[in-house]
This record gives sequence, structure tokens and C-alpha cells, in this order.
Amino acid sequence: MRLKALFVVTLMLAGLIASAPVVLAQSDCTKIVPPSPWGPNDQTGATNRVTPAVTKAAAAEIKDGKVVVMSYPLTDGVPLFGTRFTKTILTATSLAPGAAFGENQLTYMEDTWLSQSHVGTHLDGLGHIGRKDCYFNQIAMGKFINQNNMTKLGLEHLKSFATRGVLIDMVKVYQAAGKLKTNAACKKPCLDKGTVITKADLEAGLKMYNVTLREADIVIIHTGWGNLFEQFPAQNAVYNSGAPGIGKEAANWLVSQKIVAVGTDTWVVEVIPGEDPKEAFIVHNILITDAGIHIIENVRTDLMAAEADQTKRATFFFSMTVPKAVGLTGNFVAIEGIR
Amino acid sequence: MDGAAPPPAPREGRRRCLVGIALAGWLLLPWLAGGGAVVAVAQDRRYTVAFANLTEEPGATLEGTGFTGREVRESFALAVRRYPIDLVFYDNHRDPQKALANVEDAVKRKVDLYIQYLDDPATNVKIGQSLRAAGIRPLAINTPVPDAPLYTMDNRAAGRLAGEALSEYGAKNWRGLPTIGVVVGNLRAQEYRIPDRAQGASEGLKRQLPALKITALDTQGNPAQVGALLARMLTANPAAKVLIAAMDDTSALAAKSALESAGRLADGAIVGQGVDRSVHGGMNERKEIDPSNRGSIVIGSVAFYLDRYGYEVLPIAMRMLRGETVPARTVTAHRLITAANVFIEYPPYDMN
Repeated sequence: MRLKALFVVTLMLAGLIASAPVVLAQSDCTKIVPPSPWGPNDQTGATNRVTPAVTKAAAAEIKDGKVVVMSYPLTDGVPLFGTRFTKTILTATSLAPGAAFGENQLTYMEDTWLSQSHVGTHLDGLGHIGRKDCYFNQIAMGKFINQNNMTKLGLEHLKSFATRGVLIDMVKVYQAAGKLKTNAACKKPCLDKGTVITKADLEAGLKMYNVTLREADIVIIHTGWGNLFEQFPAQNAVYNSGAPGIGKEAANWLVSQKIVAVGTDTWVVEVIPGEDPKEAFIVHNILITDAGIHIIENVRTDLMAAEADQTKRATFFFSMTVPKAVGLTGNFVAIEGIR
Repeated sequence: MDGAAPPPAPREGRRRCLVGIALAGWLLLPWLAGGGAVVAVAQDRRYTVAFANLTEEPGATLEGTGFTGREVRESFALAVRRYPIDLVFYDNHRDPQKALANVEDAVKRKVDLYIQYLDDPATNVKIGQSLRAAGIRPLAINTPVPDAPLYTMDNRAAGRLAGEALSEYGAKNWRGLPTIGVVVGNLRAQEYRIPDRAQGASEGLKRQLPALKITALDTQGNPAQVGALLARMLTANPAAKVLIAAMDDTSALAAKSALESAGRLADGAIVGQGVDRSVHGGMNERKEIDPSNRGSIVIGSVAFYLDRYGYEVLPIAMRMLRGETVPARTVTAHRLITAANVFIEYPPYDMN
């Protein structure tokens, strides 16, 4: 009898153990992602570099107050990837006859914006890209997500981007080197997709305008590929089919320069197809996951490139605000280069 | 303009020490590195390499897989970005005369190395002779050029991988149930080495099911025949489970359709050969082999990587150009691609 009871209890315990929630094994992120140079609790990454002194020094770039637009319009028809979408719905009910308020006949309109965050000119936050379940600063992200957002590495942790912007005109570099192979769909000269921008290319571009990168800069690379974005929707498929961009060597060099962000007029910043077909978006890992350096995609660079060409000056005050969107992995942004 | 302040000057003593170390290192470098300095100089040189592709005829598939010559060519164009090589592309058009004309042109151009991809051994002998006479080293793909290093697929190993996967599936899921094995495809296509592939598949199928009866269904190169051939077999074996080793991905998908039409999806498991874009794709394409389709009866396909030939062959070419010894035969590392590893092996880039 006692044995039988023991058997039943054992069976019940076994059943309980079997029905317990499955706890997934997590990676040891200390072996997969390097620690942040700003300490174990850091969720801010490279914007830690934007100190008051950095912003003040960047303000010296404003000579005559000229503002150069550096973002594309976000509207129906622009290139979006895969199933991504962005859609607005206008609420204008108070325009209906008799719907105005008060003697002053107040009317109003509002929008509902249904959109994914990584659309148009947008910033990749630190929670966007990881290696396995490990994200910037060795954060095991599986423990910090819920149905709606992340509870670590959200955009709310970022500091200011008010720093110096440096434009590198890769089209001019390739033209000067006699190696520009443009894409037939580009109406202005562009680097073709799959073109690997190297460290030497970046250095040549900096030398062209006599610039040395300094800590906390934001590097903006003009490839000309953005001309396809400007032709939306006609060239969306070509635009999305690949991109010129930085390779691993260039990305590692940019990390060593301690910059805050790198942006290009492509959807991806890095070269696609990548250098190694077995690697996926490896430059994203190098910059975001390992170094906390942001990527800014679909940056409008042609106007600043023209400005730099005209004035022989490739630096500017980088003006970009990012909403304190709690727990978001990225967001669309508006950028202005002020000179 | 750059407003960066110059870095602070190091202390004089420290500077002297650093200069001394740098000078000593520079003087000792050749001794420490042996031939390193010579290699570094050699690496800086640019080479001209010819690649004569089997055929780039639109839609023409290669080696009994779904890959086209265009995909092979693109893989070379992408892989060469890593190397100090200028590629000259030729199309052999699967034509001996054209292949001979190509090599003649390459000799005139004085290329440093010639990569020959032609499935005609007799012509390859002549091409080898022409290249040797011109002092140009050849490198062959899939069909040998005498005395040239060969990069080649291993059809038997690929077939065996598929058979073993099916055998394991059958042993795990259908032990004790009546099960038959099927090898289906263009089984007599010697030019594509399909008989080797089929033999490997049969060997693999018996790995864990030694008593398995295997039926060969020859489509004679017409994948549309898969449906009819399988339908007859399924009707004749109404209670049997079926392990299907398809000799290419098109036949694998056709086999799935045949099982579906017969209402026998639960009775089949299929493995294809090739892993071309008809069975896998980007994260939004939802092809047959996809992480979101783990329940598919197409449990996988064996990769032939023709779309990565450039990445496989150019490193061998580079070693030859640097005067290093390379193996006489380098074989494709075939791998079974399933829903569980397809995005690792073929990372999609339709997201960012």
C-alpha cells in the first residue's frame, strides 16, 4: 500500500515537472559580445561620446546658418523592405458641416500613423541587432522583451546626436580613382550594388576634403545609390536588390575612430551582397552589437555632397532628434546638416 | 575643415624607446618572417584570371541541378572582390569550338591563370595542351583538365547524405510500418553524374533500414513525369510509407505535389538535391525549405553550392598564383539543408 502511494506521488511529481514552463537555455553573452566601454549597466552606447564639449565644438561648424536637408520624405511608394509598411489615416470629422466646435467654429484634424519603425530615413537603435540572443553590452535580450517592446536598450536611453557630421563623398573618390562602375538605373553617378567600400576608400574621401575624424563624429557616406530612392516607386526593386556599402575592414576602422554613428544613402549602410555569403549583415553586428555605434539608413546625402563640392568643406553640425520612444529598436528620423 | 587638436607629444624618453623598437622591428622583419616580405610583395600584385563558364544560356541549368550559368558567373564576380584579381569572363556555350576559341583569346591576353569549366574531357585535353604551351596554369571545374587541380562536386556523397537523412527519418518515425524507398529523377543522365547520385542515395537509404526495398523511377529528364510515376507507385502500395530521394529540387517539389494529389502527404518524406532558389529564399518568400515550414514533408535538400563556386574556386586560384601547392582534387563540402539550418547556410537579406 505504502509502495503504491509512493509510486503515485512519484508519478504526480514527474507530471508536474513535465508540465512546468519550458525554460530555454540562454547563451553566455560574455563570450559572444564584448562589454561596453561605458560599464556593465550601460544602455546608451556611442552617444555617451556626445559631451557638452563635443556639441560646443560641433557648433563651430555653423558658419552662415545654411540648413541642408538630409532625410527623404516618408510617404506611400518609397522603398520598404519585405513586409514592412507605413500608412497614415487622417481623422477630419470636424470638417463635416455642423461638426465645428463653439462660436469660433474650431475644427481640427489628427493622424493615425500605422508604421513600422525601420522605414524611410531611420536610426537603428542598440536593440535592433544581436548575435544569438546577445545584444549590445552582453545583454541577454531574451530576458528583456515582452509583447510590445524591449525593457532594455530602448531608444529612451540614447543621449544627444548633436555633434559634428562628416560627409565622405564616395562617388568622387571612385571617380578620382577611375574605378566608378555606376548602375544604369541611377540618373546621377552612383556606386553599383556589391561595391565594397574599404578603409582606404574612406581615408581617400576624408583626405579629399582635408578632414581627420575625431571622437564622437557622425560619418555620412554618399554613394549615389540614394538616387534610386528618389525615383520611387520606379526603382524600388533595384534599390532593394542590393547596395554599395562598407565592408568589414572599413567598419572595424570606423569603430576604432570612436564615432557615434554612420549613415549612408542606402537601405543598409553595409555592402550587399556581403563579402562572405555565409554571413548575415555582419557590419551591423560589428557596429551595433559589438561597439554600440548606430547605423542610419536611407540618409539623403546628395544635397550635402553638392554643398561640400561647392564649398570644399565636408563637415557640418549634425542635427537629428530621436523620440524617447520607450523600448523601441529604432525609429524614423529627420536630419538636417547645418553649416 | 578639421578642427581636431593634435595628439599630445609623448615624453622624449618614451619616444626614443618607441623609435628604437620600430627600427629594430623593421630590420629584423625579414629574418623573423622568413619569406613573409616576399609574400607581401606578391600579394600586392594584381593578376588577370580567365574564367570560362560552362554555359550562360538563359534558363539552361547545370549539373542536374536548378542552378544556371549566370549564378555561377555572379558568384565569381562577387568573390573576386576579396582578391587582387581582374577576372576575364568567357562563355564556353557547352561547345568545344567555342571553348578552344576562348582559350586562344586568353593566351593572347596573357592571363595568369585559366579556370576551365567544360564537360567535355577530350576538349579539355586540347585546352590543357594550349595553356601549357603558353605557360598558363589551368584550374578545372567538375571535368578534369590533365595535370590541373580539379574542383569538383561529389555526387555519390551528396546522394548518400540525402539517403541517410531519409533512412534516419524512416527509422525514427515509421519503424515497424511497411516502408519503401524511391529514387526519382533523370537517373540515366551520365553527363550530370546522376547515376552516382542515385547510387549514393540508395546506399544512404539502407543505412538504417537495410531491408528497405528501393524503386528507381526514371523521368528521363522530364520532371513532369514525376507525378505520373509516383502516382502509379502509390496506388500499387496503398498502405506503405514512402521515402523519396529526388535527384534534383524540381523533382522533389513534384514528388510533394504527387503525394498531395494522392492524399498521401502523411505517408511521404522527401529529400532533394541542389538547394537552388526554387526551394529556398528570403525570409518573406516562404519557399519550401524555410524556418516557418518545419513541418514540410520535404525535409531537406543537399547543397551543391554552384552559386558559390567563385568563393570556393578563387581561393585555390589565388594560392596557385602565389606559387603555393594546392590539392590535386578539392571536393564540394555538400551539406543537408533543412528548415533548421537554411537561414544559417543561406542568410536572407530581405530585411535590415
